[in-house]
Amino acid sequence: MKITVKLIGPFVQLFGFGEKELDVPEGTTADDLVALVGIDRSRPKIVTRNGRAVVPGEKLADGDRVVISPIYSGG
Amino acid sequence: MNGWTGHFLRVNLTSKTYKKEPFSEEFARKWIGGRGFAVKILYDELAPGIDPLGPDNKFIVALGPIAGIPAPNTGKAVVAGKSPSTGGYGDGNLGTRVAEHLRKAGYDVLIVEGKAASPTMLYIEDDKVEFLPADAVWGKGTYETNDWIYAKYGKAVGVLNIGQAGENLVRYAVVRSLEGRAGGRTGMGAVMGSKLLKAIVVKGTRPIPQADPAGMKKVGTDDLREVHAIDKKTGWSIQSTNGVLAWCNEVAALPVRNFRKTHHADAWKCDGERLNNARIATYGCPNCTMRCGITIHDEEGRESELDYENVGLLGPNLEIFDLPPIGSLNYLCDDYGVDTMSGGCVLSFYADAVDRGAAPGDIRFGDSAGFKKLLTSIALRQGEIGNLLAEGSMRAAQKFGHGSIDYAMQVKGLEVAAYNCKFIPGMALAFGVSPIGAHHKESWVITFELKQSVRESYGPEKAQKVVDLQRIRGGLFEFIVSCRFPWIENGWPLEHYAKYFKLVSGLDWTLDDFWTVADRIYALIKLFWLREYPGTDRKLDYPPAVWFDPKNVDTEGPIAGKHLEFDKYDGLLQHYYDIRGYDRRGIPTKATLERLGVAAEGRAAEKFGPLT
Repeated sequence: MKITVKLIGPFVQLFGFGEKELDVPEGTTADDLVALVGIDRSRPKIVTRNGRAVVPGEKLADGDRVVISPIYSGG
Repeated sequence: MNGWTGHFLRVNLTSKTYKKEPFSEEFARKWIGGRGFAVKILYDELAPGIDPLGPDNKFIVALGPIAGIPAPNTGKAVVAGKSPSTGGYGDGNLGTRVAEHLRKAGYDVLIVEGKAASPTMLYIEDDKVEFLPADAVWGKGTYETNDWIYAKYGKAVGVLNIGQAGENLVRYAVVRSLEGRAGGRTGMGAVMGSKLLKAIVVKGTRPIPQADPAGMKKVGTDDLREVHAIDKKTGWSIQSTNGVLAWCNEVAALPVRNFRKTHHADAWKCDGERLNNARIATYGCPNCTMRCGITIHDEEGRESELDYENVGLLGPNLEIFDLPPIGSLNYLCDDYGVDTMSGGCVLSFYADAVDRGAAPGDIRFGDSAGFKKLLTSIALRQGEIGNLLAEGSMRAAQKFGHGSIDYAMQVKGLEVAAYNCKFIPGMALAFGVSPIGAHHKESWVITFELKQSVRESYGPEKAQKVVDLQRIRGGLFEFIVSCRFPWIENGWPLEHYAKYFKLVSGLDWTLDDFWTVADRIYALIKLFWLREYPGTDRKLDYPPAVWFDPKNVDTEGPIAGKHLEFDKYDGLLQHYYDIRGYDRRGIPTKATLERLGVAAEGRAAEKFGPLT
């Protein structure tokens, strides 16, 4: 299934892209996707799926837009 | 008394006199510094009901125990007074060399009283105070004023100054320093202007009293290096605060078109990635480990320093998405000394009011040339509209009528920062209960709401989080006086601040001790408001009505069809009051005041509204 991944803030420079489409197997979770991008699981971050925060183990669906962002604290 | 200089400097502009006044160790321990000192002095010394733009108001510069001492991000000062925008307690902080110099001159607080007979610059050097003419720069912008001061004294001195907006009593005029720093969006620039005080220059040459100066020097120097190294690893400074713009756009929290919309397809044009690409230089405050000021060339080719708040509110909020025109509006704000956040909200409010037929004019969203002209007319108070908008969105809405107050994006008279809370209950609460009017400085809970809670929730966990963050952000960092960024953006543990406090003061405090001081300060600020608004009630803590409006919902995107629900918000507000020990009007109870050691201050407020 095709998932659009968008990185936010310094993740763009640290992981080398801003937004791209990935082809992933059925059953892929948001956590799997984060690992696929190469972001350390222990790194504080917020992951949203179609604008809403994901819960642990949440499975993705074809056409989803997943945004991975550092934890911002509002300046 | 280690940790504090132990003295105020009280200056009277009317009589051209000054006095070095000692304060007690008990006062220092009870209020610590910065915002704590400021609100206690203003509460004790200002008669309720005075004109914030009259000679009876006082302009305060307040520092804390670690302000100006080499350690991560300690180059900050609090400026405070009765706010011209809200009529309540007002303050703000800004990066400035004044933090170090004023303490080295021997003072933790500068209190400016009265009104000068003609434009004046205060020059403070240790025990000496001079009242110097500032006619040469009266009517000039902050950049030219800064250059004029640097030409006289060099760049190493501490400087605070105002632009034309402060001189012309624009109610959201700021104080400026270091060419790129601004503070006191509650109108502290107008308070300076009302006193014909164009600038304050400070040079201090003496050591700051510390319990363990050698230990502090070592720890401070080591930690400066360590926080800088952490920032290099996290990459936060690459996009700085504007990294959050793209995220706000994704989660429907971006202000677009006077907050009518929460996201926009063109927002990427002014996001952190684009800002980083357009960067020509980077600036920071004294002792900074993670410089956040990114400059770009604006439309006129000038260097303009941007961060998220000014990009959000002078950009998408006005339906302008290209960085150069946003930079131009920002440059004008900085040069005139207009707060970029309130400035952006006032411009968007007026465009919205024109669009809805509530106000005369031809300004349209997206018209950057029109907004530039309008901003100039506001700063110079030119014409009927410029003069009215200089009063802020609340007062302009009261004049326009037609229900426009509902979409004047302000709380208590202070415009909201760049987070659209159409469907973010906890952040709406944070704006509602911010003690200076709507501001993100006190509490920022959006990521908590989305990650640790549920966006739809109006539960007590969000009220508790708002209180927790207020204690840290509006408490600790405002009274110890240091930038919060190492902690909030790069995870620098709060325990370090207790360590610094011990090294300078010798006092072995826990974080819980600090939270008690924070709660005391918040309670006293509430009493300040009660005196200014007798009979005050919880309505003062309500966010803009448009966020509750079913007609204002997004038609597509992550929060399509959603809006805040009033009854539930009121319940969330009650959770907040219950946690804080406030009554249903939002006033601290007698028991709370007693517990926090401010019962006497409560009795002084009681004739303005009964305490329960």
